[in-house]
Amino acid sequence: MKTPSRFTIIHRFVAFLGHIVRSYLRFLLLMIGASWGVFNEGMLPSTWRRPVRYEFWRSLRQVAGGGLLSVIVVAIITGFGIVAQAVFWLGFAGMNQMIGSVLSTVLVSEIAPVLVGVILLGRAGMLMLAEMSDLTMRGQMRTLSGLGIDPFLGFVVPRTLAMMLGGFTLGTFFSLIALAMGYVVCWVKGIVTVSIWSFMFQVVNSVHPLDYFGIPLKFLSSGFVVGLCCCLSGMDITTDDNMATLIPRGFSRGILSILIINVVVDIVLGSI
Amino acid sequence: MAEKTISQQFGPVLELIEARPVFDESGLTAARYNLSLGPGECVFIECRDETQRSQFTDLCVGLLPIGDGKVKCLGLDWQQLEERRAWALRGRIGRFFSTNSLIDLYGTHINILWPRMHHTRTPTKQLVAEAVRLGIRFGLPGLPTQVPSRLSVLDRRRAEYVRAFLGGPDLLLLEDPVALDPKELYEAFLSELTAAREKGCAVLWLASDRSVWRDYWQDGMQIFRLGDDGLIDMRGV
Repeated sequence: MKTPSRFTIIHRFVAFLGHIVRSYLRFLLLMIGASWGVFNEGMLPSTWRRPVRYEFWRSLRQVAGGGLLSVIVVAIITGFGIVAQAVFWLGFAGMNQMIGSVLSTVLVSEIAPVLVGVILLGRAGMLMLAEMSDLTMRGQMRTLSGLGIDPFLGFVVPRTLAMMLGGFTLGTFFSLIALAMGYVVCWVKGIVTVSIWSFMFQVVNSVHPLDYFGIPLKFLSSGFVVGLCCCLSGMDITTDDNMATLIPRGFSRGILSILIINVVVDIVLGSI
Repeated sequence: MAEKTISQQFGPVLELIEARPVFDESGLTAARYNLSLGPGECVFIECRDETQRSQFTDLCVGLLPIGDGKVKCLGLDWQQLEERRAWALRGRIGRFFSTNSLIDLYGTHINILWPRMHHTRTPTKQLVAEAVRLGIRFGLPGLPTQVPSRLSVLDRRRAEYVRAFLGGPDLLLLEDPVALDPKELYEAFLSELTAAREKGCAVLWLASDRSVWRDYWQDGMQIFRLGDDGLIDMRGV
């Protein structure tokens, strides 16, 4: 094989490799940059103009109000399933003293942020994605820019922060309802005999001090990444895109973001 | 001694100096564009291509990148402006878009008030009162609260007029804003346009057909044609 043709093969291989790396890392880099942008802009008082505040409250109502019923239902099912099963089997194994620790570690710290993140993604995130992509495809984002309204300020900042706050609110509701439901099931079956306050005290007592920071952080960050991921996926479209390609892409990106952020928080806080 | 134009006396509101947009094989030709528009002046540009019209107005508000030359608004060069100041400067410009620019996420009233509420601290009550006055002037019953898609095409146009004229902009960029019918709306539009110009607002009126401004045109007003050769001065043609 002649040298130029060898060079061509290597050149094509490197180009292919670069294309793959760039296309996969591009959105991650976009997320990192936009996260900084949201925090930076969110800190500035001048960001919170009347339309931005209006959009924030509208999104918060949509996220927290719209997702509350879904969260209650999922929390009740989780309470029936996971909490009751955990309490039953730990009691069966004679490890009743581990109930609080297992529930706080498994349910509140690991399962709740992921489930709440998925509910947020399905209930509000997909709607955001559809709205943002519709505005982009119709050229209305450009229209807003022409009126001097930065779409990042007008939509991405308030929606992401509303989703973050909504994640924390729904996550707290989820944890409390799932634990209470688990207790009720076990109490009806006669598995636990202590009062609900003793049960909750047992759970709270076994929460690691660092988790008092880590658990809210997971709820907040799950909501944050879902909001940001959906807004950016809706704005980052090409002429070849349509709803059939956008929704699955946005959903998989959202799920991946929730899982990654939970693992990252665990690693940072030393839980893993 | 020749009499000084308004631009020479007060400085132009909009100025294109040898501005050459970056060529991207679509829309605006990468020619050199020159234009000077003083306070209260009205410039007509005839252009049959909707994309070119829209890109030219984008060029005027600093949204279209330029390779050479300068585009200045109120004496400020878009390329030299820090991002936040550029957004704020765009807030001084009233625009009428040729495509549907009202978004269905909010009611029409929010769409109308949005730019003013974003860029100014004018009390909402005051803005609403002014919007209602303009709305009635253009034939609306007040300030519509339905989503724009539930309004008729004509009412949407009326709402866009209200948004463009609200708050006394320094510059109006109008892309094919008006048709000869209905007559009342046409007359109301010209009347508000004149009132805005008397307050010092500069107007750039792009239209596909010159018949719409024939009644409004006066001696001394600049007329251009925007096409594949760039911006051609049509005075005397």
